Amino acid sequence: MTANPQPPTPAGRRWKPSFQLIQAGTVLALLLVLCAVSASQTETFLTWQNLVYNLLTNAAYLGIMACGMTFVMVAGGFDLSVGSTTTVCSVVAVLALQALTGQPVWVSIVIAVLVTAAAGALLGALNGATISYIGVNPFVATLSTMLVFRGIALILTHGGQTESVPLGLKNTFSQLYWGKVPLFGSETYQVTVPILVFAGVFLICLYVLRFTRFGHYVYAVGGNENASWLAGINTSLVKAATYAICGLTCAVAAVIYTGMSNTAQAASYRGLELVVIASVIVGGTPLGGGSGGLLFTLIGLLLLSVIENLLPQFGVQEEYRNIVRGLIILVVVAVDVLARGAGRKARRT
Amino acid sequence: MTAGVRFSEMKSGDTILRMEGIEKDFGAVRALDHVDFDLCAGEIHALVGENGAGKSTLMNVLAGRFADYRGHLAVFGRQVRLTNPRQALGLGIGVIYQELSVLGNLTVAENIMLGHEPAGRLPGTLDRRALAAQAQAVLTELEFDLRPDARVAGLSHARQCLVEIAHAIRKDVRLLVFDEPTASLGGDDVGRLFEVIRRLKARGIGIIYISHRLAELPQIADRVTVLRDGKVVGTRGIADCKASALSQMMLGRKLTEMFPPKRNTPGEVILKVRGLARPGAFHDISFDLREGEILGIAGLVGSGRTEIARAVFGADRAAGRCEFLGRPIPRRSPKRCMARGIGMIQEDRKRDGTITGSSVGLNIGISVLDRLSGAVGLLRPRRIRNNARRMIDRMGIRPADPARLIQTLSGGNQQKVVLGRWLSRDPKVLILDEPTQGIDIGTKAQIYRLIMDLAAAGKGIILISSEFFEIVNLADRVLLVRDGRIVREMPGPGTDVDALFAACIGEGDE
Repeated sequence: MTANPQPPTPAGRRWKPSFQLIQAGTVLALLLVLCAVSASQTETFLTWQNLVYNLLTNAAYLGIMACGMTFVMVAGGFDLSVGSTTTVCSVVAVLALQALTGQPVWVSIVIAVLVTAAAGALLGALNGATISYIGVNPFVATLSTMLVFRGIALILTHGGQTESVPLGLKNTFSQLYWGKVPLFGSETYQVTVPILVFAGVFLICLYVLRFTRFGHYVYAVGGNENASWLAGINTSLVKAATYAICGLTCAVAAVIYTGMSNTAQAASYRGLELVVIASVIVGGTPLGGGSGGLLFTLIGLLLLSVIENLLPQFGVQEEYRNIVRGLIILVVVAVDVLARGAGRKARRT
Repeated sequence: MTAGVRFSEMKSGDTILRMEGIEKDFGAVRALDHVDFDLCAGEIHALVGENGAGKSTLMNVLAGRFADYRGHLAVFGRQVRLTNPRQALGLGIGVIYQELSVLGNLTVAENIMLGHEPAGRLPGTLDRRALAAQAQAVLTELEFDLRPDARVAGLSHARQCLVEIAHAIRKDVRLLVFDEPTASLGGDDVGRLFEVIRRLKARGIGIIYISHRLAELPQIADRVTVLRDGKVVGTRGIADCKASALSQMMLGRKLTEMFPPKRNTPGEVILKVRGLARPGAFHDISFDLREGEILGIAGLVGSGRTEIARAVFGADRAAGRCEFLGRPIPRRSPKRCMARGIGMIQEDRKRDGTITGSSVGLNIGISVLDRLSGAVGLLRPRRIRNNARRMIDRMGIRPADPARLIQTLSGGNQQKVVLGRWLSRDPKVLILDEPTQGIDIGTKAQIYRLIMDLAAAGKGIILISSEFFEIVNLADRVLLVRDGRIVREMPGPGTDVDALFAACIGEGDE
């Protein structure tokens, strides 16, 4: 710093958008362009049926998990086990409902949901404890729990699949996935229950991450864990808590999605972790943590969902779809790296 | 490729390096402003200046690390434009950085021959015997007492430094830059290193010697150039200058003008440390700190001073007791110490201080969020903003914007943010580890005033600094740390900087 305290220029401090906003802007622009193109090119895209019942409802359960994942990743962590956690939770949900037959319908469902939530939070806390108290690398820890949790699901289901949810509960329970709520009292414009649940989870998480002390600590730990600890923050607890939150959101997603088929399978939700992590990264939360957030995740999630929705509509063959998905993630992140000037060249010095 | 060392046939006294009008900007900051510098074969030219004066930037230009400098550079009589490190190496320019670049997992021989491994008979293979032999030849030539098959990680810092020198010489270096080689060396090692440097000099190698220790320059240097704020203040023959004159050239003003008059008066004991120890780091550390007292801890880099302070603050584990206001602090951790009223500014601001990616406001408020938030941890944004504004005003942080990202501030302002964090906590004891490292003079003077203000207000201050004149001018008492032990206690006022330095490296011990 040289001593030249310049008086503020008449133009004042020029507002410079941060890198994050630039990236969010890029992704958002890409999203809007894609929507515009597909709206003009296909007749099916811009219909309530497609956008709400199809696109958003599919995005909802991923989005619920992505909310939890955002906490983990802003704190600089990583969770590969979300797919397996969700599987275990869905098995727990069905088993709990079976155990609760005979109780009044709503009592059984509420208790089953609470039990599932507890299971999810517990599995997440297990990840968190391993990572922050023992110090295992998040990638390694959650890679192994990914296997362990799926094994637990296999054992609980005795070979792959649970019985169906008991008859008396089936109709009510499946409303958690199939239910629709009319918007403005209109029969044509209805919103599905998963979308509503996602909206609820999203708003709560947004509030916690933005407006609570804990949320600030999550950013601080992701920004510089060492400095945060030296500033008197219980960084281990904060990190562990983010994994517990992630497990909890997996439980919520599990409950909703189990409502679709009314059974749980040990093989379901495989590969889901990658989609969830991808939406967080594409949104702009960096792998190292410290910045990003839920609004970014929402944009990333929507972009990936729109692409997913468009692939069949544009007639992309199934065998080519993974290539398109992979390349899009790569391109978005590469553009971001280049835009920051944080590419190879800048890192050299 | 032949074994052994090739040295150039430069005659002593020939100018081998001439830098003229070198300029380099980092964004809006001019790091180097029209710098002239030259070096002769067989000469040791010292380069001194404050942190941030531009020494490293100038040497990085010479090492080919910047492509966008302005000015003229002539090496061995040839005009060159250095745009990448390989080019500089090719010309025979080597740099021994303070952070050595030896590879600890390899042997001495492998390190010396790195990048020049002799090939074996089969393509892509390595001739291990030739490698050991060639490395041994280099070591013999330089008279280094090192075993070629020793793992480098097991060697002392001083010996690792020799490995690095041997590696540089192996690459036929004719111009060698030493970047603060003695910062972490004790008296004996410094003497041995000087011998090595003199031998290199006798071979006609030109040496640029960067150092913080003005007192050692007469022993080693032929000429001294002083840099300040990116400009050359002057170049002098070593015979013509005294340490005090040099430090005045470096700072740009008399030392005494930078320090506030002493206004503090030590009172009751507030922190009592007894028998603090961690094997391999420090032993049997006991001292008291009083209210309103500034206690200096002086010692070389690596003497254990930082480790002791971190252990008091609970950042590292250690045996022993700390009593704060007469009550022991069990199972010390930064969180517990902070709750009692102890704060610590860490030496490595980037690693341990600032929270990157977060705003100035959050960085200031992070340690007081418990006081600034309401029920169930809900934040009170206005209280956080007000706290940040208050600290920004009090510390004079520029730009005065709580929403700015911390990493966009200058080093001095980042330091003020970290200080502001602890001042908002208002601790009774504040440990400052190198609080003025890498910041400009104006900010330094401001921090000195702040330290005095805090002590005058009854806070206990522990001050660690490599700049001994800071300790001498601020501290009431000085603890001398060498090899992890407190070897002596000296009064602060009236102690001579040179005497303190001599005591630190172990000269004049009974």
